[in-house]
Amino acid sequence: MSLVLDAVEIYRNGSKLFDPVSLHVAPGRIITLMGPSGCGKSTLLTAVCGNLDPGFSLSGTITLGGRVINDIAMEQRRIGILFQDDLLFPHLNVFENMAFGLPPRLKPEQRRQRVASALFMAGLEGFEKRDIATLSGGQKARVSLLRTLLAEPQAILLDEPFSKLDRQLKESMRAFVFQQIKRLAVPALLVTHDIDDAADDNILELSSGSYHA
Amino acid sequence: MAGQSRSPLQFFPYLTLAAFLVPVLLGLAGTWLPALGYLPTIGAKSFTLQPWRDLLDHPSLPGALSATLVSGLSATLLSVFISLWITTHLYKTASWSYIERALAPLLAIPHAAFALGLSFLVAPSGWLIRLVSPWLSGFAHPPDWSITGDPLAISLTITMIFKEVPFLLLLTIAALNQLDVRRTLWVGRSLGFQEFKVWTRLIIPQLYPMLRLPVLTVLAYSLSVVDLALIIGPSLPPPFAVLIDRWFNDPDISMRLVGGAGATLLFLLITVFITIFLLAERIVVMLSRPLLTNGRRRSPLGRMNQGARLAAITTMAASVLSFVLLVIWSFTGSWRFPDAYPQSLSLFYWTKSLPLVAGPLATAALVGVLSACIALVLVLGCLENERSLPQSRIDALSRGSIWVIYLPLLIPQIGFLFGIQTILVRLHLEGSWFSLVWIHLVFVLPYIFLTLAATYRTYDQRYAQVAAILSGSPLRSFFRVKLVMLAKPILFSLAVGFAVSIAQYLPTLYVGAGRFSTITTETVSLAGGSDRRVIAVYALCQFLLPFLVYALAIGLPALLFRNRQLMKN
Repeated sequence: MSLVLDAVEIYRNGSKLFDPVSLHVAPGRIITLMGPSGCGKSTLLTAVCGNLDPGFSLSGTITLGGRVINDIAMEQRRIGILFQDDLLFPHLNVFENMAFGLPPRLKPEQRRQRVASALFMAGLEGFEKRDIATLSGGQKARVSLLRTLLAEPQAILLDEPFSKLDRQLKESMRAFVFQQIKRLAVPALLVTHDIDDAADDNILELSSGSYHA
Repeated sequence: MAGQSRSPLQFFPYLTLAAFLVPVLLGLAGTWLPALGYLPTIGAKSFTLQPWRDLLDHPSLPGALSATLVSGLSATLLSVFISLWITTHLYKTASWSYIERALAPLLAIPHAAFALGLSFLVAPSGWLIRLVSPWLSGFAHPPDWSITGDPLAISLTITMIFKEVPFLLLLTIAALNQLDVRRTLWVGRSLGFQEFKVWTRLIIPQLYPMLRLPVLTVLAYSLSVVDLALIIGPSLPPPFAVLIDRWFNDPDISMRLVGGAGATLLFLLITVFITIFLLAERIVVMLSRPLLTNGRRRSPLGRMNQGARLAAITTMAASVLSFVLLVIWSFTGSWRFPDAYPQSLSLFYWTKSLPLVAGPLATAALVGVLSACIALVLVLGCLENERSLPQSRIDALSRGSIWVIYLPLLIPQIGFLFGIQTILVRLHLEGSWFSLVWIHLVFVLPYIFLTLAATYRTYDQRYAQVAAILSGSPLRSFFRVKLVMLAKPILFSLAVGFAVSIAQYLPTLYVGAGRFSTITTETVSLAGGSDRRVIAVYALCQFLLPFLVYALAIGLPALLFRNRQLMKN
């Protein structure tokens, strides 16, 4: 299943943010969009996600697995998103945060198992009952990623996901994220202003100009 | 102003606590003693349970209690439900900005004025029935229905809901500002959840703890309200709080002991219901916890936007129509049933009433200004003193003190005002300006604290430090920089405090000893049987004071800082 952007442009109150973007993200691949702050790269992610604010408009087509998703509601796109903040829900513990996005068809025993094996994979074995406030920054980032992955998304968007982590943590978290994306074979789109965050696959500079990948 | 070891500021917390807790605690004691038969001023000096036996044998008790419980509980539950319903369905939609802008004016309308306007709307001779008479209804005379003052207290319940929904919505908006709603919705929806499900599973569980105390004040208020019940509640028997008020003012002074027992019973009832609410919240949290993570992403309840919009529109329309009717009636010359519009307009009732309301208006304004200003000084002192403490202690204090601050709003007024009255009589302080301002202060102070504290605590203190270094004077920095930068929230909290003072009915009566009449006591006392045109003039005057002060509090900073972009938030 690929994520395809075909001549996507975004307008704010009629004025264009950047020249048309066309790209093709194959399953398990990560394309990095770079550009200075304010160039519209995060806005492009909100558009792919389906959360454009009123006042913005979109032209071109966004296709996921061959299906045009331009006019599909955000909750039906099955596109997961990760921010620089973990946005873990403070009223739920680690297990509940992660189980939150699991598909409803799973039985309680299966839910427990999926969360347990995801935690094991992230080196957080036995963390189920922990209050998220007691986790370190790196642990929160991993739980947040696992929550997104457990919802079985068909594509993943990463909005400066490592920018709040310190240098050492950034390196290991980056490796962990990329490894998971390859393992699940979902297409991913990453925006950042920091070249160190970028994936090796493919890097795009976003400014005014037309790009193809 | 911080850091000095012997700062005079450190006395402010004690002074503030004393200012508003001492009257409440003494008042409670002064009400419990008569309940046990001890009230020396009327010669009752032996402890006995007779007042309780008299109370329980009183023929009006069962009816009064059921009117109170049914109206109070249903008003609270429905207000919470409706305000959450409106929020979950309309948050950040096109209607939301209208709702946000309408809240302040809606809240500025005093309860009494609103209830009077509403009764002009829905009474058997009210405007709604006039609109359909006689062409549709066939009524040439007002029908013999008990719409206002119905024995089931339905109209009282609805009136309370109309006033409580905007109050809860305002606090909901304030609480939502502390949550990252936008991105929680984003994450939740990108995980596949319908917006309504994100609200019920992710946002409301974080929101409700912040609304818990306001909801409890709504509960305590609805179970003990007197002025609204006098205007639009049932009378035979009246709600329990009104019955207690009658006993306290019974020509037969021995009834005061029964009143004491009644007031104590109401206090106990409210305590029990607050406990039940807190327990019920825990049970709901416990039972719903497994459901939060069952992964179901859609709910048919999520598609009731139209219903939520209707609820919001009805709430606002009720206030607007009530207000418009008050204005029309106040300028009416004659207006016979079943005409939909007055036959003639006249200024007569304004010119006739204005000399009469001038005194009560001035009294109310003076008490309001004094109590709000004193409360503000105390609150500023407390908040400024806080800064000398370590952050961990501030957090602990603000968590612990919040219940104390809410205390006067959680205890029924009728439960301790009689006690205060008795003590003031002993001290020969009844009916003095001093005690009147003080008793208003008890209710004004919590509101000023609650409106101001959050903004004040998040002020970036570095501005004040820079100013202190530049001017060489911490005091000048405080008054010239900090207070000016915080002018907007401070003025708004003053306006809230002032409006709270204006609306006080029972405290003014019990402590004023008949020597003070404010616009509110006058308006409520007219409500019984006076001319609608006179009532309308009084009710509008009651609305006028808070309206002017709110307008000033919002308009003044906007005017002063019209060329200061950064002062707009």
